[in-house]
Amino acid sequence: MKNNEKILEIIKKVNDIFKDVLENDELSVIYETTASDVDEWDSLSHILLVVAIEKYFQIEFTAKEMQNFKNVGEMCEGIILKTK
Amino acid sequence: MTKGDIFENEFKINKNIYDGFIKLFNDKNPLHTDEVFAQNKGFKSIVMHGNILGGFLSYFIGECLPTKNVIIHSQEIKYTKPVYINELLSFKAEIIGIYKSVNAVEFKFCFEDNESNTIAKGKIQIGIIQ
Repeated sequence: MKNNEKILEIIKKVNDIFKDVLENDELSVIYETTASDVDEWDSLSHILLVVAIEKYFQIEFTAKEMQNFKNVGEMCEGIILKTK
Repeated sequence: MTKGDIFENEFKINKNIYDGFIKLFNDKNPLHTDEVFAQNKGFKSIVMHGNILGGFLSYFIGECLPTKNVIIHSQEIKYTKPVYINELLSFKAEIIGIYKSVNAVEFKFCFEDNESNTIAKGKIQIGIIQ
């Protein structure tokens, strides 16, 4: 699952959103990335990131779904499920 | 609060607000304080500080919503026309997004003058504090 083409495509787009919201052009998130790996990813920027991601993909996560995602990759799998 | 909800209000930058803003933030740029300077730049009078509108936005979010459990996450504002002292402004805000996963609400807003010209518009995202 981790290496399939769709996940990579979603992670690439999510990475663009991270760069934009966190204003860091050098940022590169991967499947395993978590908030502790990214300096700018604090509680407020987390909210801005989730809103930007939900808007871009036109999806809605629940609070519980968000809490259960352990890393960027799991969130991207959630995006795939919501956009099917 | 639900998507599509609309909130309306009226504001006026009176002398108290204008004087208070200058006293608090010390922005005495001649565009805001020198009648002749402002007119030489093509304005009909001294132009009110754009960030006074930010104060009205703060009032709207802090005092005019159905809940006081709010915090501003982000806001953006574009100024399209100058505002002059004692001009009556119509304010309208609409909820354009609700993000339950992170308890956030997004509004678009605009300020209009008494001839229905948009003088400023933008977006605000707030959080609902649990």
